[in-house]
Amino acid sequence: MTAADLARDRLAFPDFYGEDMLLPQGKTPAYLGQAVAILIYHEFARFRFAREKLQFNDAVIRYGAVTGPLRRDPWGAARFVRVGGRTPYDDDVFSCLKQGPVSATFDNHEPVWPKPARDGGIDAQGMYYANSITDELAHPPAEWLVLTRDYATQSGDTTALEPDNANGWYDADKQDLHLVVPTQSPQEVAEGAATMLERSRIGLKRLFLHPCFTVGYGSKDHCPMPYYGVIAALYGDGRPVRLANDRFDQFQAGLKRHQFGMRYTMAVERNTGQMQSFQANIVANGGGRANCSVALTMVGATSAESVYYFPKSDVAATAIASRALDCGSARGYGALESMTATELMVDEIADALGIDAIDLRLRNVLKTGMKNAQGAVPLGVQRAEAVLQQARAHPLWTGRAARKQAYDAAHPGKYYGVGFGSIQRRFGTGAEASLAKVELALDGRVTLSHSGTEIGTGASSSQAVACARWLGRPADALDMAVTDWPDLPVQTSGDPHTMSQADQNRLAQNPRWSPAYASASSASNSAYYFTHVTQEAARVVYLYGLWPAALAIWGSGSAQEVKPEDAQWRNESLTVEGREPLPLARLAHEAHARGLVVGAAVHGFNRWQWAEADFVVDGVLVHALVDGLSVRFGNGAGAAKQALSSTPNRYQVLDRRAVSFPPTQNNNVMIGYNTAVGTLTELAVDAASGKVALLRHHTIVECGNMLVPQLVSGQIQGATATGIGLALHEWLPLYEDGPGNGTWNFNRYHVPRGSDVAVWDQTAEVLPPLSKNEPPKGMAEVAGIPIMAAIVNAIAHATGHRFRTLPVTPDRILEVLA
Amino acid sequence: MRVRRRRTFLIAAAIAIAAVAAAAFAMRNLLSGRTGGPMQVVSAPPDVVARGKYLAEAADCAACHTAPGGTPLAGGLPMPSGYGTIYATNITPDPDNGIGRWSADDFWRALHDGVRRDGQQLYPAMPYTSYRGMTRADADAIYAYLMQMRPMKVANRRTELNFPFNIRLGMAGWNLLFLHDSLPAVSVGSSPAWQRGRYLVNVLGHCGECHTPRGIVGEMELSRSFTGFALGRVAAPDITPAGLAARGWTAAALVAFLGRGLARQGSAFGDMHPVIMLSTRNLTPADLDAVATYLLGDSPPAPTSLAAPDPAEVAADANGAGRISYVALCAGCHGLEGNGMPNTVVAMRNNSTLRLADPRNLIVAMLDGIGAENFPHRQHASDAWLRRQAKRRRGGRARELSARHLGRGEGRRDSGCRASLALRPCGLTDALEGTTALGY
Amino acid sequence: MTIPIRPLTVTINGRQHGPMDVPEGLMMIDVLHEMLGLTGSRLGCGIGICHACVVIWDRDDQTSEEVRTCITGAGFFDGKRIRTIEGTAQTDERGEIVALSPVQQAFLDQFSFQCGYCTPGFVNAATVLVERLKRAPVPRGEVQATVAAALETHICRCTGYVRYYQAVRDVILTTPGLTRDGT
Repeated sequence: MTAADLARDRLAFPDFYGEDMLLPQGKTPAYLGQAVAILIYHEFARFRFAREKLQFNDAVIRYGAVTGPLRRDPWGAARFVRVGGRTPYDDDVFSCLKQGPVSATFDNHEPVWPKPARDGGIDAQGMYYANSITDELAHPPAEWLVLTRDYATQSGDTTALEPDNANGWYDADKQDLHLVVPTQSPQEVAEGAATMLERSRIGLKRLFLHPCFTVGYGSKDHCPMPYYGVIAALYGDGRPVRLANDRFDQFQAGLKRHQFGMRYTMAVERNTGQMQSFQANIVANGGGRANCSVALTMVGATSAESVYYFPKSDVAATAIASRALDCGSARGYGALESMTATELMVDEIADALGIDAIDLRLRNVLKTGMKNAQGAVPLGVQRAEAVLQQARAHPLWTGRAARKQAYDAAHPGKYYGVGFGSIQRRFGTGAEASLAKVELALDGRVTLSHSGTEIGTGASSSQAVACARWLGRPADALDMAVTDWPDLPVQTSGDPHTMSQADQNRLAQNPRWSPAYASASSASNSAYYFTHVTQEAARVVYLYGLWPAALAIWGSGSAQEVKPEDAQWRNESLTVEGREPLPLARLAHEAHARGLVVGAAVHGFNRWQWAEADFVVDGVLVHALVDGLSVRFGNGAGAAKQALSSTPNRYQVLDRRAVSFPPTQNNNVMIGYNTAVGTLTELAVDAASGKVALLRHHTIVECGNMLVPQLVSGQIQGATATGIGLALHEWLPLYEDGPGNGTWNFNRYHVPRGSDVAVWDQTAEVLPPLSKNEPPKGMAEVAGIPIMAAIVNAIAHATGHRFRTLPVTPDRILEVLA
Repeated sequence: MRVRRRRTFLIAAAIAIAAVAAAAFAMRNLLSGRTGGPMQVVSAPPDVVARGKYLAEAADCAACHTAPGGTPLAGGLPMPSGYGTIYATNITPDPDNGIGRWSADDFWRALHDGVRRDGQQLYPAMPYTSYRGMTRADADAIYAYLMQMRPMKVANRRTELNFPFNIRLGMAGWNLLFLHDSLPAVSVGSSPAWQRGRYLVNVLGHCGECHTPRGIVGEMELSRSFTGFALGRVAAPDITPAGLAARGWTAAALVAFLGRGLARQGSAFGDMHPVIMLSTRNLTPADLDAVATYLLGDSPPAPTSLAAPDPAEVAADANGAGRISYVALCAGCHGLEGNGMPNTVVAMRNNSTLRLADPRNLIVAMLDGIGAENFPHRQHASDAWLRRQAKRRRGGRARELSARHLGRGEGRRDSGCRASLALRPCGLTDALEGTTALGY
Repeated sequence: MTIPIRPLTVTINGRQHGPMDVPEGLMMIDVLHEMLGLTGSRLGCGIGICHACVVIWDRDDQTSEEVRTCITGAGFFDGKRIRTIEGTAQTDERGEIVALSPVQQAFLDQFSFQCGYCTPGFVNAATVLVERLKRAPVPRGEVQATVAAALETHICRCTGYVRYYQAVRDVILTTPGLTRDGT
């Protein structure tokens, strides 16, 4: 199939992905690696040998005249300006929260910022304060140290080991389309595929989507591959078609990591080490398709402050369009890049001031109640300070000078260094939604269905475990990535990130409506967001099923004497002092017999706070932090109750009574739930080869109450390995020599091996939770970030040279050691 | 210990040749030699140091003077021979272990005459036989560069030669016979590039030390310069203009090969790989061109294209064991048609190594794998299989050579072929282009 | 275009397959996936680097070793015996799994894998290592280095390797006969 076939049948990408799913004849490609045609073979061997003829064969595509690359406007640009009040707790003079971000126009494909005016519109005011920050940094007070540095991070591949693929078949008679796809965002694929077919000349009555357990690190989130799979299926002559990248294809066509360029200027008062002002210009190369480039770049911009409080800040960010490959939501999502640069700069400033690098961080760390660079106060207790204190006392840090002396003397030609990096990072996307259904069988077995997808992080295990809080045991059976929810109809419209408050208010009157349906598995969102809906569903079953069943067994008067919060699960029995412990199986049986709630399906939405609503369950007013709820009653329910159960699985869909959605203003301000992480690294640089040997590393994380400690430690180990790769090994050229040319594979893209990660000599600690009720927090994506700066800072300690471009390869080390 | 067979040198009965007259000559050196003396303080302008660094790379000092995994230029590389093992020495400016007390004259004498500061003779494992053609200015620049390096307190290992080869004095006689002021030209030319190339190749690059056959007392047989020799496990091939052209080499291909380690004709492997990594890839484009110009001459011979195989022979081989083995064990990477994969796996079609008359290197590659590569060659290959392969890939014209004859190499069990690619990270600069465009 | 065919007979997980006609030039992973329905061996890189595709080759001398099926042609396996991940666990006569291998069990117990894509390769590598140590035990003090050397070529993107390596180390240290005293 070529573009002509697609045009004939009116098949095109969903809007999110832009135009030219296949490059039309006669048109300049928008980017390297753009798809031109899909060839379908009916027999594997033919495919295999045809591939050998076609792959690496430049003559396969006939090129026309040289036009040069397209020049296009950036995908987006914005500027985040803040001038704080007298203290971090006072009202801001200007901030995103109070006024808003500054937006740009484009001239000759470059961003143009509005003219400054103190009393103008928001943009003009913002520029007035931005310029005042610029002027001050250009003519700083004598006691300020002002440092300007350029940083760059690499384009890269997320290198999920399972390459992108999509499988499908189309039954033309029934107009059924079946898709089997590994994706982080099954809901997005379901909606996108349906939309795509709706607009086409090809009929679709039913779409069957079978999402798979997979892995992506962002490359399978809002990824174009499933839509190519749809096309292949439609033109497969009724046969099942498998579209699967090999590794060369995956480098050539998989979503890439954005390359970042960052110019930072930071001012610090010399005597106190107090940070005064921060200005940044961030340019992220979004490549050929917009995808999530704007959102990711803005997250990068609003994360650049890292763990610090700045009285003044001005961060401009542009996501440019280029002929590089299209980029996706690669792990770290912009914050990885911008925070790493900050952590390198802070280390250099500490050096310049002669202050211990962790001390300097402690003097400036953002504490609970302080405003971030958008003028918002981050939610919850801020624990970066605790992480820093822990790191400062760690033996890797305290003994580093003596160890360097001893090591260097004992190993001529090797340079020892210790480095540190620390960040805090929001988890979640600011519009998190998911569904969960918890059901108790007659024998007490627990079944959990969830909209979240397992992407290797252990979300399925942790969600099963999360049931135990209310039901006394983990789920026995589990269904993840569920896209079909007949028991809980939820309608959605509009964009949760950009809708107006008025629109939200109007739409919310529909009791089935929510700003978003179901989130991709990304942004470390399972531990907190997925768990919330799982536990809300389980809580409803507990409070309106198990608890009344227990009271019934314990006998009259119990309801007055014991409260649900007095009860505890012990050995799968509900226990209250002075009462008979009741095994779950017995309670389940009782709840079923009495027609109590034995199943609950919920939909939750979070925009840095949960939507909440009232529901009437079996005559009782129930308040829950969800915006949709259906319940199922036990088999002993009377006819009246049974009549209410209208869904295929005999659920009663409840109309919410009073709903409160988080305000849309939360979109402007990255308030967020933060997780703080710090990593210490110890390494030796080999002057002969330029190679860096990582000797040890230690990571300190705070992430609330852990659901499954082994999963947390596994995520730290995996994420730090990714960080090591980005600090030292992994990179891709952006353009003609880059992966778009189809010749990249693991021979040139070095994914860290066991010998690269200090496999036997790494440690981690998780700070004790603040309380036993502190929710679990997302930490996987976060844990990989600080090690990058920690490594580069350790190389500075080792060699005296500060690298500002990643990765720090042996050749670059040799250059500076020579 | 892993040994890089950078230059296994031969010393034969040179001792016998050490005549009395030679001994007298040598005694003069010894008498003038010194061991103590002050630390030399060298201050050279930065441009001289930079030039020295460039020349040190062009002369590939690190190949021997930096042991694998060792300290830069602090010596330690073992060079085994039939007579024992010589260890490269510490040439950092450490006063006790390195050349910290050496003057520029001392350094010059080592490069030019093969005589140490203490007056002892160097063994020709140190290629003073080639370096003798170096200009004094260049030697001084290298000296200036070395003397500003960080001194490394790494002790030298004693040479472990058997009697009578352990008598250094004997080398004096050898030098009288075999140390020449200049080495013969291997091609015809006169252009400035050719002249420069001759200096880079014959003197700094000391290419002849490996590529020129050695005589019975370990001397370069200059009448057969660059016609190839097997010093180590991998043979250095014929790199005369005729030899190169016969295997399809052009100037552009040589530039690609020496600059990146990779050309259409094949990739650098074995001992040539570190030469690329440490030395030739650092040459300026002009110098690389000069090297290619010299190697092929001012009027390069036309590269010989590979004769099409005899269709009858191909057809007869369709069910042959060689073809079946190739498909089973090689085609997965090198392709059914031998095309390889660009930037990943070298092509077998037109591969320079396969066009050598001597199948030795092909067999060694199959036995050992090349660089980071771990083909099934070593693990799964029987001797008979290897012979079949060598024969098949070379169109059946090979002199059969038993793999057993070569023995088994160390066999690197690493995977992939990264080391064979030697790609320079030139694209990193490109990676910043996007930001530069916006005014960074 | 006609594709030449070659006969292949191979014993996989104790069961003989073939003689069957295999298009000449197919890699073994293609035969496993496309012709035999054994999809557990993973295609990761296709050029022999990541080792997700390895199977175990049981040699006639009672030794075993890993072979990368992505770059090894089907022809190589003619007449040979191999094990794939599908044959690692013990099964009953109905094909139901009754017991995981010690390596598999350790990987589960220690949360060794995440997305699981590289896991068949790691199971096979660790199994080959355990079998080698049965023939030639190593000093206890060398176990970590032995594990690291044996697994080094296997790429995992998710886990950072720690829980894989620890699980294999623990299997070796707790299985009698794989180690001897000393460092």
